Amino acid sequence: MKLTRTLTAALLSMTMLTGITYAATPANTLVIADALDDIITLDPGEVGEVGGIMAAKQIYQTLIAPDVKDPTKIYGVLAESWTVSEDGKTFTFKMNPAAKFASGNPVTAHDAEYSLRRVVKMASRSAFLLTQLGLSAENVEERVKATDDATLVFEIGEPYAESFVLYALSSHSGGIVDSKLVMENEVDGDMGNAWLKQANSAGSGPYVLGTWTPKQSIMLNRNENFWLEAPAMERIFFQHVPESAAQRLLLEKGDIDIANKLGADDHASIAGNADVKTLDGSSGVIYYFGLNVRNEALAQPDFVKAMKYLVDYEGIEQTIGQGTIKTHQTFVPEGFLGAIDHNPYSLDIEKAKELIASSGVQTPVKLDAVVWNTPPYTDFAQAAQATMAQAGVELNLLVVDGQQWLERYRSADLDIWVGLWGPDYPDPHSNAKAFAVNSEDTPDGSTSLADRFGWDAGDISPRTMAALRENDNEKRRQMYEEIQLEHTDISPFLYMFQEVRRVAVRANVENLELGLTLSDDRYWKATKN
Amino acid sequence: MAAIASPNLVRFKRIANGLVTTAITLLGLVALTFFIGRVIPIDPVLSIVGEKATQEAYDKVFYELGLDEPVWEQFTSYTLKLLQGDFGTSFTTTRPVLTDLLSFFPATLELATLGLVLGVVLGIPAGVASAYWHDKWPDHLIRIIGLIGYSVPIFWLGLVGLYVFYYKLSWVAGPGQLDVFYVGVVKPITNSILIDSLLRGEWEVFWNAVSHIILPVCLIGYFSMAYLSRMTRSLMLDQLTQEYVLTARLKGASELEVVLGHALRNAAIPLVTIIALSYGGLLEGSVLIETVFGWPGIGNYIASSLFRGDINAVLGGTFLVGAIFILLNQLSDVLYATLDPRTREASK
Repeated sequence: MKLTRTLTAALLSMTMLTGITYAATPANTLVIADALDDIITLDPGEVGEVGGIMAAKQIYQTLIAPDVKDPTKIYGVLAESWTVSEDGKTFTFKMNPAAKFASGNPVTAHDAEYSLRRVVKMASRSAFLLTQLGLSAENVEERVKATDDATLVFEIGEPYAESFVLYALSSHSGGIVDSKLVMENEVDGDMGNAWLKQANSAGSGPYVLGTWTPKQSIMLNRNENFWLEAPAMERIFFQHVPESAAQRLLLEKGDIDIANKLGADDHASIAGNADVKTLDGSSGVIYYFGLNVRNEALAQPDFVKAMKYLVDYEGIEQTIGQGTIKTHQTFVPEGFLGAIDHNPYSLDIEKAKELIASSGVQTPVKLDAVVWNTPPYTDFAQAAQATMAQAGVELNLLVVDGQQWLERYRSADLDIWVGLWGPDYPDPHSNAKAFAVNSEDTPDGSTSLADRFGWDAGDISPRTMAALRENDNEKRRQMYEEIQLEHTDISPFLYMFQEVRRVAVRANVENLELGLTLSDDRYWKATKN
Repeated sequence: MAAIASPNLVRFKRIANGLVTTAITLLGLVALTFFIGRVIPIDPVLSIVGEKATQEAYDKVFYELGLDEPVWEQFTSYTLKLLQGDFGTSFTTTRPVLTDLLSFFPATLELATLGLVLGVVLGIPAGVASAYWHDKWPDHLIRIIGLIGYSVPIFWLGLVGLYVFYYKLSWVAGPGQLDVFYVGVVKPITNSILIDSLLRGEWEVFWNAVSHIILPVCLIGYFSMAYLSRMTRSLMLDQLTQEYVLTARLKGASELEVVLGHALRNAAIPLVTIIALSYGGLLEGSVLIETVFGWPGIGNYIASSLFRGDINAVLGGTFLVGAIFILLNQLSDVLYATLDPRTREASK
C-alpha cells in the first residue's frame, strides 16, 4: 500500500512538472537557435565570425546600407546624404541630425571619424575591409576626418568604383560606436576594446547588448532611445543549439522561433508541419575545390580542366544538396553585380580522359584533398572522389577538424582544399579580389586565394583591379562578365555550388528580413502574431 | 631512536607522501597537456584572426600570445602562472579560463552528481540481485538492460529520449538549462541553477530547471547504472563463492545477512574506488550528452574550445578534470583504508 501511495505521488508530481515545462516563447521575445561557440568578440571594430557579426548587426549602424531587396540600391542610415568628388577619391558624408546613440548622445561625424580610424589603428582581423581602400595606421588621420559635427570627409588611395567603397563602408567593420562612451571606458589605450568585447555595447542600432554568456546565449534588449521606428520585439535571444536535430525538435515544439542551422534532412522532415515555414534568402557562399598549382600535375592547365569535368554537379545538387545548393561555376555569386549564368562543366569522363592524356600527366595520379570533417564538405569530397577515380585521379581524402583545415590552407601545404568562400559585402570585388587578384596588385598587399594556391592570374589580376576602378556600373558589369568567362576556364578553382539560404521559422513569425550575406539578417523588423 | 615510529608520525608520513605524489602527478599532467597542446597541429592565432585577416593582423596576435618565445619559456611561465591560480585567458570567451571553468563546472557537477546518485541507487541493488539470482531470469533481465545502456551510443539515446519524452509526450522540457524567460532571473551565488534558485526562493525557476535536467540525468544515470550493476555483479559473484559465505550460512545466518552483511560489505571496498573513478568519468565524459542537450557544462566547454583551437581553455579544462581524477583517486585510497583495516596495516 505504501508503495502504491509513493508511486501515485511520484506520478502526480510528474504531471505537475509537465504542466510547467510546456511553454511557447514569450510574445515579446524572438528566440533564435544557432551555433554560437565561434563568437569571440562583439566589438564592431574586430568582429569577424558569422554569429558575432549577426549579433553586432542588430546593435551597430553604419553610415549607409544596401537594400536587401535590391542590393544595387544603397540608402543612408547614419549619413543623410553623400557626395563624391570628381576624381572619385573623396567621399563627403552629411550626418543625419536625428540619429542618436542608445546612451542618448547624438551621432556626430566625430563618432564616425573615431570609429573608422579605430578599426584601422587596432589592426584587427577585420581591418582589411577598410585598409583595402588604401587606409593605414599612418595615413588614417589624414584620410578620415570630421570637419564639423555634421560632415565626414573620407579619402581613399585611388579612385575605386563608388558602389564598392560604399559597400565596404556598409560592412560590419563600418559600424559606428559612441566615441564618448567608448573613450570613457578605455583601458591602457585599447580604445575600449576590452569593454566592448563582451559585456557592453555602444551603438545606435535597434538593440543593445543585454548579456552575452559565451558559448551559451546572447540576449539583446530593445534600444529604448532608438531614433528610427521602434522594433516590435522587446528582446532577441540567441540560444546556442549546435545540433540540427535538436533545433528541429525545439522549433516544432514552439520553444524557439527561428532555427538557423537546420540541415537538409531536417528541412525535409518539417515540410509537412503547418506550424512552421521556411524562408529562402540569398547567400553568397560558394563551395569550391582549390587546386594548388605547386603540384606538378595540377600545374598542367589541361589536367586542371579535366578535373572540372570529373564532378557530378547535377547528381550532388539533387542527392546531397536537396535544395540547399545550386550549381554555380563562376566566382561572382548570383544576385551580385556582374553575376552570370555560366555553368560550362558537367560530368564527362571521356572528355576528362582526353584532356588528361593531352596534359601529359600519367595516371593513376594521387592527390591529397584536405576536407573539413563537417557536412556538406565530406559529402562533396566523397562524391568527387568516386567520379575522379574513373579517370585515374585518386583523391586521398584527409578529413580534419576546422582548425587544421584552415591551417593547411593558410600554409598552402596541400594539393586540393575542399572549401567555401563567403563575401563580406555584396560587391563583386569581395570575391574577385580573393580569386582573381595577386597580392602585388592589391593596395594593402594582402595574400589572396590566387596566391595561396600558387596561381599567377596573369593579366586577369590587373583587369580585375581595373573593374574595381570603373565607375560606370554597366561597363563594370561587362568587365566582370568577361573576366569570369575566362577565369572559370583557366583558374585552378573548381567552382561547384552556391548555397541557397534556407531558414526555418514558426508560422507566426512575420517580416523577418534575411540579409545579403550570411550574417546580415535583420531581426528588428520581425513580428509575431 | 627512530626504530619505533609513533602512530602519529606514521599518519603524518602517509599524508605527506600522498601530497607529494599528488603534486608530482599534477605537474606531470600539466607538462603532458601543455606539450600535447603545442604538438597538435592547431594554430591558435588563426582561430583568433580568421582566414581572411592580413599578415599584419596575424603577426600582431602571434606576438601577443607570446608564441615567438621558446617552448620551454612558454611552459615555465605557464606553470608559474598556474601556481598562482592564473590559467590564462580564453580567447573564445575573452574571460580568464578560471572564471570560465567556475561558471561552466557547476552545470556539469549537477548533471554528473545526480546521474551518479541515480546510478548508485539503481545500479548496486541491481548488481547484487543479478549476482544473487545468478543465471536466473532476474539476472538475465538486469544484464540485458545494462547491456543496452552500456553499448548504445549515449548521444543517440539522448536524441531518442528528447524525441519521445520532450517532443512526443511533453513530459520534460527540451534542450538547454532553462526556458528562455527564466534565463537571468536568478542572480548566481554558486552558479548551480538548482541550488541558486532554491537559495533565492525562486520556485518557478527551480521547477523549470528540474524539468530540463531530468532527462539528461536519467540518461547519465542509466549509463552509470549499467556500468555499476555490471561491476557490482562480478564483485558479488566473487564474494558469494568464498568460503566465509558458506561458513556464515552454516552458522545459520539469514540470506539477507549473508548477502548484505557479509558479501556486499566485502565487495563494497573495491566498489568505492569504482564509484569514485566513475564519478570522474561522468564529469568528463558527458560531452556528448552536453552537446545534444545544449548543456552549458565543462564537457561542452572543452570540446568547443578544442574545435576552436582555444589552447588555454583546453589546457585549463583538461587540468581541472585531471586534477579531479587524481583527487578522487586519493580520496578513494583514504576511504579504502578506512573501510578495510588490513590495507591500513599494510601501508605502515
